[in-house]
Amino acid sequence: MTNSNIDIRDAFFDEIYNLAKADPRVILLVADMGAFSLVKFKKDFPSQFINVGIAEQNMVSVAAGLALAGRKVFIYTIIPFITQRCYEQVKIDLCSMNLPVTILGVGPGLTYGNDGPTHHGTQDIAIMRALPEITILNPSDAIMAAASINISYKNSGPTYIRIDKGKIPEIYNQESDFQDGLAELKDGGDLTIIATGIMTHQALKAAQELNNRGLSTGVVDLYRIKPLNKEKLLKIIDNSKRLVTLEENSIVGGIGSAISEFLTDNGKIIPLKRIALPDTHCFESGDRNSLLAFYNLNIDGIIKTILN
Amino acid sequence: MGTEKIHKLREKANWIRQRVLEMITNAGKGHIGGAFSCADILAVLYYGDVLRFQAANPDWVDRDRFILSKGHSSAALYVILSDLGYFPSAELNNFQKENCILGAHPGLKVPGIEADSGSLGHGLGIGAGLALNAKLDKKEYLTFVLMGDGECCEGSVWEAAMFASRQKLNNLIGIVDKNGLCSTDFLENCVKMESFEQRWETFGWDTVAVDGHSFEELIPVFSQTRSRESEKPLMIIANTTKGKGVSFMEGKPEWHHSVPNQEQFELAKKELNRE
Repeated sequence: MTNSNIDIRDAFFDEIYNLAKADPRVILLVADMGAFSLVKFKKDFPSQFINVGIAEQNMVSVAAGLALAGRKVFIYTIIPFITQRCYEQVKIDLCSMNLPVTILGVGPGLTYGNDGPTHHGTQDIAIMRALPEITILNPSDAIMAAASINISYKNSGPTYIRIDKGKIPEIYNQESDFQDGLAELKDGGDLTIIATGIMTHQALKAAQELNNRGLSTGVVDLYRIKPLNKEKLLKIIDNSKRLVTLEENSIVGGIGSAISEFLTDNGKIIPLKRIALPDTHCFESGDRNSLLAFYNLNIDGIIKTILN
Repeated sequence: MGTEKIHKLREKANWIRQRVLEMITNAGKGHIGGAFSCADILAVLYYGDVLRFQAANPDWVDRDRFILSKGHSSAALYVILSDLGYFPSAELNNFQKENCILGAHPGLKVPGIEADSGSLGHGLGIGAGLALNAKLDKKEYLTFVLMGDGECCEGSVWEAAMFASRQKLNNLIGIVDKNGLCSTDFLENCVKMESFEQRWETFGWDTVAVDGHSFEELIPVFSQTRSRESEKPLMIIANTTKGKGVSFMEGKPEWHHSVPNQEQFELAKKELNRE
């Protein structure tokens, strides 16, 4: 894995920039939220960029109106504000009407560690997964980030993309294809970790260590949380002895829940351990890494939980 | 303004109310009070040469957009859309019944409906998006959004209000069917409603207050919506009576959602026939 030269958040917006350049019907709405690469976007495409102010409900409804008239709309702010604050607008205005609007939520899990529960994105997978028409993408590197923007651009319905921040090592390359919704990154005979988003990196590191300790551990990057790729998942499950799900999201309703529902619905009986954030609001003070360690979502904690 | 036109619109609005009465009684459910309070407004919009539309071509790109943000008044709009040919009138007999496209609240599957509604406080923002699109594409179409005054308790209405005036959406026309009632109570028992018109002005809108049952007042206001020179969006505050047209329903909170029994149906029909 090589370290990316680009901040994953900029990878998203650079791709939207490219789309906006090629297609004047692309428009980006933000609810008083910035990013380094947005400065250029705003300057070069002023009529395709609107800051609606701190008004997420209205941002979603305006996006719906623009999409009803044929525009390709991207909307952007922090995860809890763009999913929970305006959930009903997302449900009715985007999902019920099945409109091609891309919801870009920044700050998965404990990204905004010190900012507290108001800014933590720990319940969004659970609630967004309950919306029938939506596609949910949770990219794990900058290459997939750019690809996910193109996937959502081509989608005829709504897409929710979780956006991370910072320079993150690259897992994929320009030839990678993201149509499958998941990628088998590592084979393992004893155990398969199904991870999503940034946790895929933790899974790869933990798998390496577990392999060193004699436990053959595979890793799957579940970057499309909805819809699940049934065929591929069944194949992975059939080739596994044990499953672990790993996510930076509440234990309630995240990918652990999605996989356990999948196992039940498909009559699969296999040990499954769900590793996630606990069902509690996080009032601990600390940055993302220290909070992940606090909740045993660092490499050591993950290994300990798996071996227990 | 021709008296003949006024006479025709009055007859049309009365006919809409009669059909709504039949539909809701037939279905055994529905929102009759709010449908009656906005019937005259809808008649002017659709039969008073205000809205531009092509019933045979509902997706005509240059059509005006009308959003019934107070979606519970759907029955009145369904009557009009079927009358204009968007779908067969026979469908009205199945209102809210199994396999009927006409649900209690309108949605995109009904020809002529521009947006799903029913949850209040969404329409003005969606309308602002449609109006913004017209500005960006230099299209001439207008966007009309009909809300209730009870609906204006929703904060999202005011988010949209601030946005629309900032974007200078003078092609967006809001209408408040101000009947003074919400679902279970008089609005003034719930929230402060004073200076309602001035509030819109403060939010950067042109406003005009009219008697929402007077065609003499409604027609000139709506007929000028296309020739306005202002940069501001326009809010038409239509003072109305919930349950308008049937004396025992007028201004009564219980007629938000009540269904007439046979005796009430006959009485209501008689009153509407007399109009």
